Amino acid sequence: MEPILEVEALKKVYGRAANRTTALNGISFQVMKGEFLGIMGSSGSGKSTLLNCIATVISADSGKILMDKTPVQNLKGAALAEYRGKKIGYLFQNFELLDNLTGRENILLPLSIHNVSEKESGERLSRLASYLEIEEVLDKFPAQMSGGQKQRIAAARALILNPSMVLADEPTGALDSKNANTLMTKLAGMNEDEDTTILMVTHDCSAASFCKRILFIRDGELFHELRRDVPGESRTSFYERIVNVVACMGGGSANVI
Amino acid sequence: MLFKLAVRNSKRSRKENGLFFASLLVSIVAFYVLLSFPRQDVMIFLKRMESDAVNKLMGMVPIFFGMTLFLLFFLIYFASKFQLERRRHEFGVCLMMGMRRKKLFAMLMMEDLESSMVSLLIGIPIAVLISELISLVTARLVGMGIVGHSFSFSAEAVLATAAGFIAIKFAAFLILSGKIAKSQIGSLLNDKTQEVKKQKPVLVYISALILGIGCLAWAYASAISGGAWRSIRTMGLTVILGLMGTFLLFYGLRVVIGFLAEHGRTRQLHIFNFRQIEENVIHRRTLLAVASLLMLAALCCFGAGVSIARVQGKAETHVLDYTFYEYKSSTENIRETLETCGLASNFSELFEIRIGHIRTTDDYDNAFQMDTVFEALSAMPQSVERDVIINNLGYESYPYLISQSGYNKLLSAAGLPLVELGEHEMAVYMDKEFTGYERERIMNEVLKTRPEVLLDGEQWHLTGSVQKTDIVTDRAISLSFALIIPDDAFLYYTKGDGEAYLNGILDKEAVSGMGLMNAILTMNERLGTTGIHYESYLQNMGRQLFYVVASSYITIYLAVIFLVIANTILGVQFLMGQQKVSRRYVTLVHLGAAYETICSAAKKQINWFFGLPIAVSLVSSMFGVRSLFSGILSSQNRGNIAELMIVSAAMILLLFVIECIYIAAVKRLSSRYLLTLMMPKREE
Repeated sequence: MEPILEVEALKKVYGRAANRTTALNGISFQVMKGEFLGIMGSSGSGKSTLLNCIATVISADSGKILMDKTPVQNLKGAALAEYRGKKIGYLFQNFELLDNLTGRENILLPLSIHNVSEKESGERLSRLASYLEIEEVLDKFPAQMSGGQKQRIAAARALILNPSMVLADEPTGALDSKNANTLMTKLAGMNEDEDTTILMVTHDCSAASFCKRILFIRDGELFHELRRDVPGESRTSFYERIVNVVACMGGGSANVI
Repeated sequence: MLFKLAVRNSKRSRKENGLFFASLLVSIVAFYVLLSFPRQDVMIFLKRMESDAVNKLMGMVPIFFGMTLFLLFFLIYFASKFQLERRRHEFGVCLMMGMRRKKLFAMLMMEDLESSMVSLLIGIPIAVLISELISLVTARLVGMGIVGHSFSFSAEAVLATAAGFIAIKFAAFLILSGKIAKSQIGSLLNDKTQEVKKQKPVLVYISALILGIGCLAWAYASAISGGAWRSIRTMGLTVILGLMGTFLLFYGLRVVIGFLAEHGRTRQLHIFNFRQIEENVIHRRTLLAVASLLMLAALCCFGAGVSIARVQGKAETHVLDYTFYEYKSSTENIRETLETCGLASNFSELFEIRIGHIRTTDDYDNAFQMDTVFEALSAMPQSVERDVIINNLGYESYPYLISQSGYNKLLSAAGLPLVELGEHEMAVYMDKEFTGYERERIMNEVLKTRPEVLLDGEQWHLTGSVQKTDIVTDRAISLSFALIIPDDAFLYYTKGDGEAYLNGILDKEAVSGMGLMNAILTMNERLGTTGIHYESYLQNMGRQLFYVVASSYITIYLAVIFLVIANTILGVQFLMGQQKVSRRYVTLVHLGAAYETICSAAKKQINWFFGLPIAVSLVSSMFGVRSLFSGILSSQNRGNIAELMIVSAAMILLLFVIECIYIAAVKRLSSRYLLTLMMPKREE
């Protein structure tokens, strides 16, 4: 299988001299097409920096990020905007819905940014709305929606342009367990049914248990990798394995799994 | 430590918010320019000519100052509010860390004082410079060589400016810091976005929009038909309808913008832009309406003021340089005195013009009857001007008479055709001030019929066309209506009991070396020693100049103040709103919007945010200015309304250009702010 995203020896340092903090210390990995990859780590481990580098929100100091074999760090102007809008779909922890737009308008916002005709994505909007069960809130404003509905609207927005990969930054962080479970089920379903590639940053073990593979980051370095490739393994069992790694991560020792 | 922090914060405020600092400087300049008005070269010159009028105007300076203080208080208030609002989080953190509210208040007070002092230190020299520039320009423009420029620095004006500025700044500070002091720490720390306002049924907004347009249409109709000027009640009703209409219009506008958002194209962030605009209209409808009304006031002041000043100051071809007069005395005495003093030789012409009342009858109500004139007027198509003439002529049963020879000398000096009168014929004289173009046309139509009139029971015919050449230099006498009759008839009807005015025209050769104004000034000095009563063209010109200066200075001053306040309020509110919803722009960036895209979206919003009040004020100003012309202009100038409207339109266009410059400045500030959002902050 071809990798859709390749990250090679990525390095990012914040601050200078005494305040110098290494957020990413030469991290490398690949994301295959149709994969649901989770990235876990404690606060300050560098997982959000990694996601922001891939999203081109911040630039890395060294290393490579290749999306479909194209280096994203060299993208500029229209190509960069096209990458952000069409290659990746971004799902925020706090939804980041525009509170003065209705659900439908929020979902259609990327179309408006990238000058895509609404007709082209009309059918996709209906399908996403139906799948994510948000049809009844399409014409409501975010203030009139529940947290779960907001995040599903945000998910529809991330998926509306059918991006090559969805980047999800702690998508369940602001949701209660029921809504978090619903969202993750939907995302996993999208991944299974539509082969949607998802890269999710989380520290929620329950959310991570929906992933096919998980990378654990500590102090800007790859600490461990878990795959859910044991035939017939239940999500509960995978969850337990995740918890074990998370417990070890707090121990301070090297790879002791 | 606290002082250091205050100084640093104050410096940062000036650096980060140029618009706030600029508004402080504008206030200082506005105060000083107004307070130094009495020291302007033109006013010092005019004081010699029109001391009463100038003194009255100067007496109004404190009232204008009070009004300016009141208006600029809002400017300072809004600018300071913006400045403090953006630092709410910082205040929350300070309080959270245990800073006492008193100490926070003291720190803010120090900052405020520091920024006031810096503003005064920079603003006063700018104000003095601008004031000098205005003085110099007006002296050059109207001076014609007689208004000299001398540097003037008014310490009183500086002190009053500083006192006024600090007073309003302190008042604004007290109100704003009071609000912050009352806020909970949680609310200060929480950078909440704008509260969602409860939506009412769409029908409410549609009704408000229709009602608003209706109110405005009514006010416009009342304004241009002249109905507003009929009484205080109708004027009050027109103003109230105009105000209500504007507020209702902005209240209902959200329906239109909401419709545009929902039914427009999806490209180029169309929906986002219109939702932002809709939100701005919803949240700031009162502010938009107030800004629109301020702009309307500015456009009316500027448009009407400049036009009226232009008409008042229009250099008319004057004929006479001097008029000498002595009550109940012959002009021969004056002529002798002039010759004795060696002044007569300075005049190329000295001629007498005689006027008087009918002394052959005591029946003042029927001395002059012109029933045929009224019949001819009644037969003409009905118009306001015709009705005014009928009304005015109704009072002319005992008019003044003017001797034909004296008037013809005046016409001859003016290079105009002489009045030719046949047997029992007389001509009609009407003062320019009471006779506009339309009234003159109507009267000439009537005179063409050679109507028959009765003068003390004797039949006469009115002939020729209306005569309007001033019979004296300035205001020795003003005749709204008079009859020019042959000299022998004049002597018969007045029984020789008339008044005589000796008019003089200065010798062109004597004038050519020094200019007319200086020649008149020199002559006035010499006449001062003779004891002769006289009036000179300088007084006439001085009055015109006074009208020009007073009307243009005050109206332009007010227009600038209104415009600055309206624009600053709009600019500050937009930028403050933009900062409040900065997350939305960050989201757009995350969704792939380029810097150019979000800048272009913000620019579109600025165009609408400024464009809506500007458009409403532009439409209203057309009617407002037209109404001012109907109400303020003398009948003499009403014939020029079309020309004045063109001048006003040009002035309004000029203000529109200023608006565009302001909008461009706000766009620049907005783009600069959006650039900061492109640089992500480390969040983990």
